[in-house]
Amino acid sequence: MSDNVTPTTGAPAYALQCQDLKKAFQGVLAVAGATFDVPQGQITALIGPNGAGKTTIVNLLSGMMQSDSGRMQLVGTDVTNWPSHKIARRGLMRSFQLSRELGGLTVLENLLVAPKHQAGESLFNIFFRPLAVRREERENVERALETLKTYGLYDLRDNRARELSGGQKKLLEIARAVMAQPRVLLLDEPMAGVNPALIDRIGGYILDLKASGVTVLMVEHNLNVVEKICDHVIVLAEGRTLATGKLSDLRANQDVVQAYLGEVINASTHG
Amino acid sequence: MSAFWYYVFTLVFFLFDYFILAMGLNIQYGETGILNFAYIAFVAIGAYVTGAASLPNAAGTGQQYIMGWGLPFPFNLLLGGLVASAVAVLVAFIVLRRLRTDYLAMVLVSLSLVLYDVINNYVPLFNGADGLYNVPQPMAGIFHLTTNSFIPFFAVVTGLIALLMWFFMSRIMKSPLGRTFRAIRDDDGVAGALGKNPFGYKLTSMIIGAFYAGVGGGLIIQFGGSFNPTAWLPGETFVVFAVIIVGGVGNNVGMLVGALVVETLLIHLPAFLPEIPGHPGLIEYIDTMVVGALLMVMLWFRPQGVVPERVRKSAGMLADRARGRGRELTTATEGQGKSGE
Repeated sequence: MSDNVTPTTGAPAYALQCQDLKKAFQGVLAVAGATFDVPQGQITALIGPNGAGKTTIVNLLSGMMQSDSGRMQLVGTDVTNWPSHKIARRGLMRSFQLSRELGGLTVLENLLVAPKHQAGESLFNIFFRPLAVRREERENVERALETLKTYGLYDLRDNRARELSGGQKKLLEIARAVMAQPRVLLLDEPMAGVNPALIDRIGGYILDLKASGVTVLMVEHNLNVVEKICDHVIVLAEGRTLATGKLSDLRANQDVVQAYLGEVINASTHG
Repeated sequence: MSAFWYYVFTLVFFLFDYFILAMGLNIQYGETGILNFAYIAFVAIGAYVTGAASLPNAAGTGQQYIMGWGLPFPFNLLLGGLVASAVAVLVAFIVLRRLRTDYLAMVLVSLSLVLYDVINNYVPLFNGADGLYNVPQPMAGIFHLTTNSFIPFFAVVTGLIALLMWFFMSRIMKSPLGRTFRAIRDDDGVAGALGKNPFGYKLTSMIIGAFYAGVGGGLIIQFGGSFNPTAWLPGETFVVFAVIIVGGVGNNVGMLVGALVVETLLIHLPAFLPEIPGHPGLIEYIDTMVVGALLMVMLWFRPQGVVPERVRKSAGMLADRARGRGRELTTATEGQGKSGE
């Protein structure tokens, strides 16, 4: 499972490590002992058929669900069953399969919520340190506007987020996560329902994030995208890790072909 | 003072008082999304504590109550707000950690009913069903106020307090804290995934809102000199909800408009109208029906209220930045001047 991973001195080789994760919903095992590692500074794809437990794993990793058993480590720290806000403060951000924008806030405000430990979030600072609050807010607004320019959302900055199209909401979620300066970014189907031109753009943004040192774990069904941008692939089936490695190697793995790749290749051939 | 001005200043008092109450519920519901159906209980706590703290020792008054410290205004009012906030902490730990939306609302209604029964029936606390009365008029001795002159005086004092509380509330709502409240209102799961602790922020919102409720309640007992359980029947919470829904959830100006339309014009103004011959109390019932109908019409045709929540435009933020930069430049220049000296 440690293919192509070169640990840098002093830093953990893996941004995320999961060991025997289990999660059941009313007796049905959605995640049935998943074990995998996500290499630091790389783009890893989490693939598998529908119902394999991919989104549940993203929810477990981000603290939005509690696991029944197993362990999770985030950059060397055990974060098993930590609440989501604590995990986020440790540097793990996520996007959602169905976009969850903060609809009543503007696009700019969506980004401004993201920075951690803002001075202006304390009642004491609002009334007794107004200059420090204003200074930090100014820096955040400037950074948020720059980020919106990067993601092509600048012209929509004053629109309420609920007014955006599906693709724009996907971009907003990524921009919002980036605004929080994550160490690890979980993307749950960032290309779902997105037009081909935007798929390329989002792929480019993800590569840029990798270049800036962010570790990305993305759930993705589009194998062309996985082939193009992902360094490493984890295949899930029935809640378990079926295989890990490079996609080109996995294509030769009969178990993987049987469980998932054959299905996808057939679908794309007949489609 | 003529009866006309007595009515006018009474209405002015209720306008400002309900403005304060509406701001408190707005921060909880309109900004943070906490469906606090127990809001009136916090108003009552503020009223009782303010009254009991300002009354003298209960012995010989013919009433039973705790405290009886003879605390002067505005310290008793402040205490009323703080105790309401302290109770909000307790309530938040009971209900906000696990419950949301309608389940939260149901538990809060239940808590409100429990508190109502306890205060109504446990006489040593706040004199039971009779409630507190003969509460001293604040500052009447200092300014030699008569019963007549107290009404306009206290209406103005309430107006000043409302103005001050509006200033504080605006600062909070425009701050990153206000933005985080609204993020939690829109989706507390997403806010959590962005590193915000939803419970912590909801707790803060409850504390602030309960303080406003407590102060609003304290002003009611100071204005009328009495307060008993008929003044805070659990249904009264919905009058405050009507104020913020009609005015415009998430907007302080809307709170003032809502307080004017619902509380002043629909609830209190008709109370001064002469009774319909042969139908005592009918006007009061018509009032309630009109408020209910107005609420339905607003929710159907204009759910955003008369004054909708403002979109915080980037130009406004940039202007704030420019102002902030200007002020900082001034401060820096002053600093340089001083160091030069």
